[in-house]
Amino acid sequence: MTHSKRKATELHRAARLYARECREGKLSRREFLTRATALGVAAPAAYGLLGLAAPQAKAQTEQMGGSLRMQMDIKAQRDPRTWDWSELANVCRGWLEYLVSYERDGSIQPVLLESWEANEDATVFTLNIRPGVKWNNGDDFTAADVAHNFERWCDASVEGNSMAGRMSALAEDGKLRDGAVEIVDDLTIRLHLSSPDIAIIVNTADYPAAVVHPSFTGDDPVANPIGTGPYRPVSHNTGIGAVIERNPDHTWWNEGNGAWLDRIEFVDLGTDPAAWMAAAEGGEIDLTYQTTGDFVDLFEMIGLPKSEAITASTLAVRFNQTQAPYDNVNVRRALQMAVNNEIVLELGYNDLGTVAENHHVCPIHPEYAEIPGPVFDPAQAKAMIEAEGLADHEFELISIDDNWQAATCDSVAAQIRAAGINIKRTILPGATFWNDWLNYPFSSTEWNMRPLGVQVLNLAYRSGEAWNEAGFANAEFDALLDEANGIADADARREVMAKIQQIMLDEGVLIQPYWRSLYRNARPNVLNAEMHPTFEVRYQHYALS
Amino acid sequence: MLFFLARRIGVMLVTALCLTFVVFYLTNIPAKLETLAKTQAGSRISDAEVASWLERNGYNQPMLVRYGEWLGVARGWTRENEDGSMTGRCYMLTGSAEPGAAPARCGLAQGYWGNSTRFRAPVSEVISARLGATGMLMLWVLIVMVPMALIVGVLAGMREGSRTDRTLSTFAIASTATPEYVSGVVFIALLASSTVGLSPLLVSWGWIDGPVLFQGNARSALDGITFWNFALPVMTVALYGMGYVARITRASMTEVMTQQYIRTARLKGVSFPNIVLRHALRNALIAPFTVIMLQIPWLLNGVVIVEVLFSYPGFGWTLFEAAANNDIELLLAASVVAVLVVLVTQLISDIGYVYLNPRIRVT
Repeated sequence: MTHSKRKATELHRAARLYARECREGKLSRREFLTRATALGVAAPAAYGLLGLAAPQAKAQTEQMGGSLRMQMDIKAQRDPRTWDWSELANVCRGWLEYLVSYERDGSIQPVLLESWEANEDATVFTLNIRPGVKWNNGDDFTAADVAHNFERWCDASVEGNSMAGRMSALAEDGKLRDGAVEIVDDLTIRLHLSSPDIAIIVNTADYPAAVVHPSFTGDDPVANPIGTGPYRPVSHNTGIGAVIERNPDHTWWNEGNGAWLDRIEFVDLGTDPAAWMAAAEGGEIDLTYQTTGDFVDLFEMIGLPKSEAITASTLAVRFNQTQAPYDNVNVRRALQMAVNNEIVLELGYNDLGTVAENHHVCPIHPEYAEIPGPVFDPAQAKAMIEAEGLADHEFELISIDDNWQAATCDSVAAQIRAAGINIKRTILPGATFWNDWLNYPFSSTEWNMRPLGVQVLNLAYRSGEAWNEAGFANAEFDALLDEANGIADADARREVMAKIQQIMLDEGVLIQPYWRSLYRNARPNVLNAEMHPTFEVRYQHYALS
Repeated sequence: MLFFLARRIGVMLVTALCLTFVVFYLTNIPAKLETLAKTQAGSRISDAEVASWLERNGYNQPMLVRYGEWLGVARGWTRENEDGSMTGRCYMLTGSAEPGAAPARCGLAQGYWGNSTRFRAPVSEVISARLGATGMLMLWVLIVMVPMALIVGVLAGMREGSRTDRTLSTFAIASTATPEYVSGVVFIALLASSTVGLSPLLVSWGWIDGPVLFQGNARSALDGITFWNFALPVMTVALYGMGYVARITRASMTEVMTQQYIRTARLKGVSFPNIVLRHALRNALIAPFTVIMLQIPWLLNGVVIVEVLFSYPGFGWTLFEAAANNDIELLLAASVVAVLVVLVTQLISDIGYVYLNPRIRVT
């Protein structure tokens, strides 16, 4: 592959294409921003392509100083690339920064990178590193540091390293492929992908992709807090809380555009929202991490207005196709047919989201293709189950004991029961549930959003993937997915996506009832702390007014 | 007396050994080890990764061998790494990697309590910090509960069947019949909510500055105990225990009041307050004394609900967290502490008997 060298100011051809599509109404503005910025177009330029001005910061001004207390689970820390909860990353965001960030409006913003660009077929990415960034131990932040992080991410021999899957186009035999990362000069690095992957830049915004110092070896980024950000940890007690303060010995590259707060305190109040409520009433917390269900309104009543993030997060009520009777596609489709997703959204999630279509691609994803949605026909469902000789079979739907997840599964099971099919519900406590989440025959799993539609499909439905809990193995699907992963053109890509989505429906992979909106409640004087679609808590930007 | 003490300590050791073995067995069944690996290395890791994690961290040996390691009678597992440094139970506990730098055995017998996997800290640190927090809660509970219970019990028991007795007994039964998770929630709704209960009234009258009268969450009590953040958890625990102790005191008091020597005293013309305070009280306190001593271990292990409800990280909360995350060594240490507390308080109550009632001998 030859790399077509373009200046940083030059725009990717596809970006102009997207802009036209957006003006024509084929792309929503949000989709346009995700796609264009993923190709290296700076957000203001992307807005410019649409003839719009980039949105300005809001009128309320941030005040320097002050401290904030936030309810959030504090879990025992470990190596960032093995993080499996956003909370683990959020604690460290004050000092561990990312190459790029995924914004609430769907765009991708440079952080430790200044800009990046892709070649025509998305196999070579040139990353320009932000000059003037320093680690808080005084070292300069260079291309070698970035290369070191790519090497860490590609190391599949580390248990639970979820970055390895995201970086597969750079890896070989579970290690970074020789020559995959080329250090051009101190501030430029070039990625040579083995196959086209448009998600590689977006993937470095994902929470386990925190950029660590080359000296970092252990598994505790709190004990060894070398980073590029403006904060540092003061204390970290698992299950109790963490305190973070502004680092007085370090000059942040982005000084003046953040680090308003002197101190932020995370308080772990357990999983019961009633306890958070009591703490908020007593003035012990200023904002919640995430509020669900009835508590969104309850917190508003006591003077903590809500902020909403529209997301592609969902609950996947999936079948495991390796286990009887779900190895039979007719059984899977019949059960899908018995469930009306709208009713599940209303009863299971208080209508706090939008209806989904059982194929795990969301309208907010840029490549979403509109295809005829799932059919709701309980009579047909019962007939199909009987035709398969399972009229007396008792199905079992397993869920975790979480409030909304259990309610959603209850409403799925209730509809299946109403269709005349025997089903029982089993609710497992969190500690037991995760032991076997990949292997339950029929259960529900919470999936957080990824910015691009192909990303979750790559993680969850490709044959043999570690997180393929549906046991879905379909060669045609894999091939189409590979194809989609390398298509820069939106329309061409959407054509492939339509086929992929259709396979998901034809194969009856899962009941995916709705896309969730996420909520957070914060006191009115807390600024820049709106809920983020991927649960990011970038407290370096939070402020008090 | 010495023989008595020695026997008691012996019983204590045997009990602790049996209990820890049961805990060890239950926390080391394969499914539990898998939970542990997943909480440690990532909740979504594959089965192969679970197996490799368990193997690398010494969990693949026979259960009895590992119980021996924990006790300090078996040699800790070791493994030589590719670069020549050593890993093993004792290397991890002493924090060294040089071959030969760590002792061969490192268990309870050598003074190593192990590391908590949930909190990533030495068990001894976790237990002592959390025990301290529960200690404060218990202290205040006892300060509130014991005098109240004794006063209520004695007042109710000194004139059996009187109106005072009926009123106080009703109160005592009601309070002990209300579980903590009910009374705690009622207290929070009544006193610590800005929208219902007493607080909005007080705010509208201008009597309090903040939105609520009491804090419905005791987390801030970790940094500094105030009346406002500690009153609700203390009251919730104290009220439940109080009714119980008061009932025992009342029963004991009524029995003493029917004794011959009390009648003799009355016939001699001793005043009623004098009879109660000087002749009846001491004898009436024997039964409640045991019950109060029994309340201490109960408080230690039974405050789980209250500590979780008010998110106060004490011993009960730690037990809950350790059990939920299958933190083997923390659970073992917690059970040792629980056995110690039960037996020590019973020892104190047995010895205390002797002073309360000269007719009883320890031997």
